[in-house]
Amino acid sequence: MRFDIKAGTGVTHLAIEGELDAVSVSDLRPDLEKLVKTKPQIVEVDLSSLRMVDSSGVGALVSLYKRVRAQGGSVVIKGLRDQPLAIFRLLRLDRVMLSADSRTPPPAHKQSKSRH
Amino acid sequence: MQVVSAVGEAFNNIVLHGYASQGDAIRSGAIRKEGSIDLRIQTRRGHIRIELRDWGSGFDPTGVPPPAFDTLPESGLGLFIMQSFMEMAYRTGRPNLLTLSKRYVERSSAVRKSEGAT
Repeated sequence: MRFDIKAGTGVTHLAIEGELDAVSVSDLRPDLEKLVKTKPQIVEVDLSSLRMVDSSGVGALVSLYKRVRAQGGSVVIKGLRDQPLAIFRLLRLDRVMLSADSRTPPPAHKQSKSRH
Repeated sequence: MQVVSAVGEAFNNIVLHGYASQGDAIRSGAIRKEGSIDLRIQTRRGHIRIELRDWGSGFDPTGVPPPAFDTLPESGLGLFIMQSFMEMAYRTGRPNLLTLSKRYVERSSAVRKSEGAT
């Protein structure tokens, strides 16, 4: 699992690629903690290169979503496909957390982003 | 994809919960051996069955409430994923035995049917 966080003007971009699971999520959590503490207005999460997610990975993303929202910000998840999209749909997160373009899978695979 | 997701959740469940107290004991130095998981996969035409045996703490799947989705739960999702994607059976003991099984349509058989229909 690789991730990249870029703070922009008004929007913080978080890209995660690879497999986000019970093991790899421990690498991500400290940076999510730091991200939340910056009180971002908008967090855009690009999961177009995420191949696999498990319940622990979903838990970390839901936690991010809830905590940013509790501070008055918003989180938009984009680019979900395949297994991660199926998991989000199964857990009924698609209507709440996904941007409109993520509710239907994109037609072609997007190139991965810069690494952490 | 569903099988991989369900088995991954089952494996993590054993590590994180079944062997949680053992992990504490290892960290404190009380015991030195880590827990083990015995994984067996059986396949026959149109069916896969996976057995996971462990010697950690057991649990009662019927005592785990389904996730309250309207509250956006951050935990307790693994069992739901397992049970949604595969048939699940569980019994406690030495070892505990978790069985996941699934029927599927074999691609070759589907192609044969398709070819037979045309």
